[in-house]
Amino acid sequence: MQDTRYTLTCELVEHGETITLAQLCRSAGVHVEWVTLLVEHGALEPVAPRERQWRFAVAHLPRVHIARRLAQDLDLNASGIALALELMDEIRQLRGRLSAHEAPDER
Amino acid sequence: MEYKDYYDILGVERDAAEDDIKRAYRKLARKYHPDVSSETDAADKFREANEAYEVLKDPEKRAAYDRLGQGSGQGGHTRAGGGFEPPPDWNSNFEFHGGGYTGADAGDFSDFFESLFGRGGFRGAGARGPGAPAGGAMRGQDQTAYIALDLEDAFAGGQKTLSLRMPEVDDSGRVVNRERTVRVNIPKGVRAGQQLRLAGQGMPGMAGGEAGDLYLEIAFKTHPLYRLDDKNLILELPVAPWEAALGATVKTPTPAGPVDLKIPAGSNSGRRLRLKGRGMPGKTSGDLIAILRIVLPEKVDDEARALYEKLARHADFNPRARLGV
Repeated sequence: MQDTRYTLTCELVEHGETITLAQLCRSAGVHVEWVTLLVEHGALEPVAPRERQWRFAVAHLPRVHIARRLAQDLDLNASGIALALELMDEIRQLRGRLSAHEAPDER
Repeated sequence: MEYKDYYDILGVERDAAEDDIKRAYRKLARKYHPDVSSETDAADKFREANEAYEVLKDPEKRAAYDRLGQGSGQGGHTRAGGGFEPPPDWNSNFEFHGGGYTGADAGDFSDFFESLFGRGGFRGAGARGPGAPAGGAMRGQDQTAYIALDLEDAFAGGQKTLSLRMPEVDDSGRVVNRERTVRVNIPKGVRAGQQLRLAGQGMPGMAGGEAGDLYLEIAFKTHPLYRLDDKNLILELPVAPWEAALGATVKTPTPAGPVDLKIPAGSNSGRRLRLKGRGMPGKTSGDLIAILRIVLPEKVDDEARALYEKLARHADFNPRARLGV
């Protein structure tokens, strides 16, 4: 394994930054139809669902990438993905609440 | 090179039927999927299971692998130290067809796999999944990952060395995953859940397309002193009973260094004292919230005991009055 050392510059993604449906599809390497299916099943929500041109929060990109991996690796369909993402959100929230309530020396 | 027992990895017998192999693989894939599993070595286990399944689900590859036998058996040469090398003509009767790699990322397979079956090249997503077809110059896909920062990294901002497993194109044009150590500039005051974009650090583009971006979602490691509540820092501050009763000015740690905190007289355990602007920095900085916790000295000498006894005789106080006892 090669070990390259150099400094990368990065920018903070602005709160509320959005991308188009096409950009989202390119980002995750997925079909428009498949994203539509995710939206229909509530696994993903456009910023303004009634607009003709959907836009998505950049903050939701990881969701789409996870959804793609769940579909590819575990053969999950859209409703399975929606359920898995919901449960993962819930677990994350509960873990966050747990760590906010736990005193550091109790860990 | 280490011999890999693919049957053992999937937990099936050597004469397992295809259905049993598929079932065993699916179970492991669910258990160790890196997006789902909380086990520390989930990614490695998932890769291993994928590699094993890649071989055992394919009758051609499985037959060739079976012919190779156990490392110490007739086929392979086990060298001192457990090293393994396949005999030079081990696959003479088999031909492996390209494109036989499905969902799994063949760039991630072990040296053992590569020495037997070669490399898969590009991810073979497509037919059954959500994958979009390739064609012409294509921008590489973005990649998303989590990074766990120390609270101090975000408090002060600055350079941070990260170890990332990222896809790269090797000399022969194949996508392989490489461990890369990179230094990244962490913006001061970055919050949990925010994302950093590293332009051009995602998947390589195809046919002259530009590379995708890498998005890193910020998470924080647990800190020995502070808990994070969005931009506020919560600190449990131990105080002596007399400090709580009489009031005192005590030293309090903050990420920027210790400060003096005034404890009002008659402060109970659990009282929250706010140090404005001493939390995470930002356009509006967070606060540091000290939650008082009254602690007793571990050792009590005779004089202190006498003072406690005097206080006990003197004080007309039932701390359990609200409990009705």
